[in-house]
Amino acid sequence: MSKGTGIYFDGTTSARHDVSVELTPETLVILDSRGDDLAEWPYADIEHLSAPKQVLRLGLNGEPALARLEIHDPAFAAEIDDRALTVDRSGATDRRARIRVIALSLVATLSLVVVAVFVVPELAARLAPLVPAGVERRLGEAVDAQVRSMLDTRKLGDRLVCGSLPVEQPGQAALEALIESMERAAALPLPLKVSVVRRTEANAIALPGGHVYVFQGLLDKAESPDELAAVIAHEIGHVVHRDGTRSMLQSAGLSLLFGMLLGDFVGGGAVVLAAGTLIRSSYSREVELAADAFGTRLVGRIGGDAAALGTILRRIDGGRKPGVRIWLDHPDVEDRVRAINVIAPPSSRAPLLDAAQWAALRRICAEP
Amino acid sequence: MLDSTVTRPSGRAQRDRARFLGEDRDYWRLMIRGALLLMVTLGIYRFWLVTDMRRFLWSNTEISGESLEYIGTPLELLFGFLVAVTLLVPLYGAFFIAALDLGVLGQLSGVLAFVLLAFLGQFAIYRARRYRLSRTVYRGVRFRQTGSAWRYAVCAVFWWVMIIVTLGLAYPLAQTRLEQFKMNNTFYGDLGGHFGGSARSLLLRGLPLWFLVIGPFVLAMIMAMGGVDWSAALTAARQSGDDTLGRIEGASPGFGAAVVIAILACGWVVLAAALLYPAFQALMLRWWLGGLRFGSVATSSQVRARQIYAAYVRFLWYSVLFTLAAGVFGAAVLFLIGVLGAVIGETATEIMVTAVLLVGYVIAALAYSTIYQVTVRLGLWRLGLDSLVLSGTGALDRVKAAGRPSSPFGEGLANALRVDGW
Repeated sequence: MSKGTGIYFDGTTSARHDVSVELTPETLVILDSRGDDLAEWPYADIEHLSAPKQVLRLGLNGEPALARLEIHDPAFAAEIDDRALTVDRSGATDRRARIRVIALSLVATLSLVVVAVFVVPELAARLAPLVPAGVERRLGEAVDAQVRSMLDTRKLGDRLVCGSLPVEQPGQAALEALIESMERAAALPLPLKVSVVRRTEANAIALPGGHVYVFQGLLDKAESPDELAAVIAHEIGHVVHRDGTRSMLQSAGLSLLFGMLLGDFVGGGAVVLAAGTLIRSSYSREVELAADAFGTRLVGRIGGDAAALGTILRRIDGGRKPGVRIWLDHPDVEDRVRAINVIAPPSSRAPLLDAAQWAALRRICAEP
Repeated sequence: MLDSTVTRPSGRAQRDRARFLGEDRDYWRLMIRGALLLMVTLGIYRFWLVTDMRRFLWSNTEISGESLEYIGTPLELLFGFLVAVTLLVPLYGAFFIAALDLGVLGQLSGVLAFVLLAFLGQFAIYRARRYRLSRTVYRGVRFRQTGSAWRYAVCAVFWWVMIIVTLGLAYPLAQTRLEQFKMNNTFYGDLGGHFGGSARSLLLRGLPLWFLVIGPFVLAMIMAMGGVDWSAALTAARQSGDDTLGRIEGASPGFGAAVVIAILACGWVVLAAALLYPAFQALMLRWWLGGLRFGSVATSSQVRARQIYAAYVRFLWYSVLFTLAAGVFGAAVLFLIGVLGAVIGETATEIMVTAVLLVGYVIAALAYSTIYQVTVRLGLWRLGLDSLVLSGTGALDRVKAAGRPSSPFGEGLANALRVDGW
């Protein structure tokens, strides 16, 4: 039976006891200076606690009182280490446990990334149709106010939207005629609201709740009413597919996964941003192709030139832009045109608006 | 190092001193391994890393001859965090829906969210302190904290508003009151704590620093404001059209100069604050360590400002070394990709360059943070302890144990709200 010395705290007071420690076959016995038993700890219940390098600090598992025994003699500490399995002075047990933790957190990270890439868009697609039209309209109104102030960089106020002045009204009437025929054919869940705004970019955007903004720059680039109708039909596709609501749900899911659970470390902000952009862009490319297909079919159904979407897309694009494709939120134009031409029925009918209407529509934005 | 049995504490000298026993080398190893694991687990490893850090810091902190012990576990932290997230998600959802409201609620929702999160953040800071104290053991007896975290949050938010309103002049009184709140509710077993630092001494010592930082700023702002015809400038700003700044300058000559002076004044505040920050930290550390009381046990410290400047110099020195090494290595990697580019094609090259830049950014950010943690944070911990002098330590021998371990929810909330510290 071997003996050594230690310092003992009984866990009920902070008084320090200089003790002698005896190692029996099954237990560790702590004796005070007069030789009385202070405590007897079975080796199996001994807990190895953090301490300075040269000190072995032990406690008793499962005890509410935090009794502590400190051994400062390295040789005696080694002897206790040999007897009590839980004492791990070399750190080998801790390393094994740590490797398991690392493996598990890697698996958790991977599965959360998989959830972000595959499960979140799927969930958003399933949930979007369940959002009531009323909620979507309110969402749209809130977004609308923000988008308008973002578009209105020239501080035009009400004059941002074309079609209200007397000289513009014939154009507005032509636009409404075009929209009405499409609205009837599309069987929309909510009323459509299409406005032309004074912006020079060749672009159009759809908001949740059925608000579509066509930029004046797009109108200038369109060479036929069918081309303009095709772009609007593409945006109607976003409205019908409820893409605005969908992307909002996706963003919420992503920011939960990548904002709250993952990425909380110095430099993690860049990872969150990059992962978010990559994943959102990949969602968005699919969404665009689906809207293309919808728009193409809609224009075909109302008797227009279904391939017009491809024609105007190619004209606006004007060659490939620089940039890594995985970061872009729209697919390559040639890919889009190819997909459009596959489903576009050939058409040789008259344009959707007559020459007078089209001329009026082109003048919908008088000089401000 | 600690040469056992021979230097066991018994003399008065050791009884009344504290020291830090850990070696930088061990902390470097712990922090570098932790940074790598943080990166590959996208941050999930942080609960394990922070527990390792605390174990190292606590167990190497020797006060009056005995070292502290940290008994918290990473799984507790993870659990607290998950509970906090499940509570915060519906809250964030509610804010989102409120923001969609077009009426008063929608317009106020941003302000409401900010105020509520400020309160929650302070609440979490107080509860996190409670968790850490109840996981801190000294001589077989744990620390603990009582008091209402909501009351603390109200006080803390009030004092922070006062600090902002008074341009920092209320800071000494605010710190004193908050420290009193915390320490009056802090116990080591049955030994109650309190705080003996005085607001006036902190104010008097801090005033020179305050004048150096804020004085020139206030003077410059008054000068800048005086030179502008405000009604003309406002009228011009409201007109529609492009080039708002040009119009304002036309309506009120001197506006451009005022903007330049204001920018210079802000630049001065940033520069002076950065240069004087270590001196401020020394002041705060001396004041704080001089005010801690547990029963009749009192502490004091004579940390010098130059010691803290030395820690920052060490940080800068290691940062420069790392920047040089990383720059050379990064350039080599990009060059290699450039050479490979001819073989693997344009798109693959672009993807690889993007990936290298992203990973490089993350490595650099983690590296600077690790260097900061070891040189400055650990440096300050060591300086504080090595300079600590205790009196009345006889009381430490007769403390009765009390209190239970408290829930890790506060730490989790602090982590989810990004307001957590050590």
